[in-house]
Amino acid sequence: MAASVIRRLNAYALTFRLPIIIWQAIFFIGPLFFMIAMSFFLVKNYRMVEAFEFKNWDKMLSRNYVWDSYWYTLGLAALSSAVASLVAFPAAFALAYRSSESVRRWAIFLLIIPFFTSYLVRTFSWYVILAESGVINAGLGYIGLGPYTMLNTMFGTIIGYMTLTLPLVVILQTVSLASVDRSLIQASQNLGCPPWRTIFAVILPAAKTGLIVAALFAFILSFGDFVAPYYLGGSKPPTLPILIIDTTKAGQQWPRAAVVAVIMMVTLFVVAFTAIMLAYRKRGSK
Amino acid sequence: MNEPLVVLDGVQKNFGDFVAVKRADLTIGTGEFIAIMGPSGCGKTTTLRMLAGLEAPSAGDIRIGGKRMNDVPPHQRDTPMVWQSLALFPFLNVRENVEFGLKMRGVNANERRRRALEWIERLEIGEFAERNIETLSGGQKQRVALARSLVTEPQLLLLDEPLSALDAHLVIRMQGVLTRLQRELGITFVYVTHSHSEAFAMADRVVIMSQGEIAQIGNPREIYRAPANRFVAEFVGRNNILTGTIESSDTNQVTINSALGHFSAPTEDIHQKPGRSASIVIAADMVRITREATTAENTVVATLISEEFVGSIVTLFLEAADGTEFKVQLQERALTDLDIHAGGQFHLSWATTDAHLLPENS
Repeated sequence: MAASVIRRLNAYALTFRLPIIIWQAIFFIGPLFFMIAMSFFLVKNYRMVEAFEFKNWDKMLSRNYVWDSYWYTLGLAALSSAVASLVAFPAAFALAYRSSESVRRWAIFLLIIPFFTSYLVRTFSWYVILAESGVINAGLGYIGLGPYTMLNTMFGTIIGYMTLTLPLVVILQTVSLASVDRSLIQASQNLGCPPWRTIFAVILPAAKTGLIVAALFAFILSFGDFVAPYYLGGSKPPTLPILIIDTTKAGQQWPRAAVVAVIMMVTLFVVAFTAIMLAYRKRGSK
Repeated sequence: MNEPLVVLDGVQKNFGDFVAVKRADLTIGTGEFIAIMGPSGCGKTTTLRMLAGLEAPSAGDIRIGGKRMNDVPPHQRDTPMVWQSLALFPFLNVRENVEFGLKMRGVNANERRRRALEWIERLEIGEFAERNIETLSGGQKQRVALARSLVTEPQLLLLDEPLSALDAHLVIRMQGVLTRLQRELGITFVYVTHSHSEAFAMADRVVIMSQGEIAQIGNPREIYRAPANRFVAEFVGRNNILTGTIESSDTNQVTINSALGHFSAPTEDIHQKPGRSASIVIAADMVRITREATTAENTVVATLISEEFVGSIVTLFLEAADGTEFKVQLQERALTDLDIHAGGQFHLSWATTDAHLLPENS
């Protein structure tokens, strides 16, 4: 009796899990293994040949520009994650603690609207604003400042990254701040904690999981983004996604691009794993 | 005798049109154990939160230690509170939770640790000092919450239904812990609860609230034996209430005429107006129950409906001819010669001196 119930439960659970397992196998795990395999292929006469050689790995890992690009991309993604988290926090804080339920609901709805438009379109619209003859410089010109170069700079890249990540980070932070137990905040004040200190003593640690996950999303999206560094950052120095595009264009070097892609995947795995461990770490033994 | 530590002077709290607390006057002395009791929504928690500064009074003054506190923000008061939800910080371990108040007061790390561990030991949770809060049982968490509130050695501790989430046997144990602590520390406890047994077992004085108003303030015995009004008499429970019209009154007793006959109660007011409606309260444990008729002053015949055993105390529920419900409380061993069974007829009686006339306006 009990055994048959368990069997039925397992069959039931499997029925609902199977689609996601198949989906993941076909569209994620399969391509991932193919990409890893491809990084060992060779290119002869502009044609890819199946092989198992370490040539691509040797070549890519021994080149300084690959490493320069790696550290640059890593730093840029970390900066983007930090800037997005810092810029989003006051907004999320105001929405979570200083707004009514209905204002919060509308704000989250409005924050979703940017995703209705293609990211590429939103990026191009920054041209009009940031260009030397753009809106900002025209405005500054009136009061005798500028023009400032904002396109094709790191500033431009970060603006692009923010376009991509900021609404999401605000939403994630708002949700995690709003779910902090209010009695914890009151308890801290009851124990002598001034309001500003409550942010660091209670709110940040209590909302830690959501805040880290939000920052992680900003990192992942920025790390793999091609559009912002290419169109707003002027692709100099190139980030890893730009390097991948350049490598495939130059002599059909798909295997070398695969090497870069595998390095990126490994990096994301390490960063995501560390972030999640940190996000869910509990104090005290057991 | 004591200089009052806490004074509520006409304190009122409105939430929009809703009056949560209506012109409350209350003084609490140093070292007193005060219980504020009432049904949910009676304003007891709001009163406590005003003492902690978590709500601002809409009118009236709150003074603590002679100082007007109305505009003092919560973090500048020394009024720690034990929360119904406990509100322990899940991101800190037991010791760090207890240290929190000291850390906010700028006590250095070594001193903080020493004092926190002292309190952790005192509340017998020493072995859990470095544990995560979530691994503790309800009773252990309760002790952490107490240690966290007491570590700064306040003059006043506020407790908001702290035992409501515990199992019955733990409640009894924690009551013991609380009363002992209160006596040893000599500090004032203001304890909000909806439980009679908690309030009456621990408090020096009980404040009964109803719909935002203080219905009665008194020691447990006064509230039990001499309820100030019908609400208190009913809320305290285990009271029999007989309503009728005043028939006569002389120098020390008043007699009312009700559907069940004539009943008397002592009174100090000799000018009771005959004909007005009045109620007499008789505590359930003051009623004698017999199978045969007695010659006592006040008697009623009633039919047994059901019985309820709590430890060695039995409560019998009976119904009189006109449907009035009677409760009789007695020792379990007193039942042996009574031969109780549902539907049985019994004679209830009590002494006039054990009856209590409710004041007129109630």
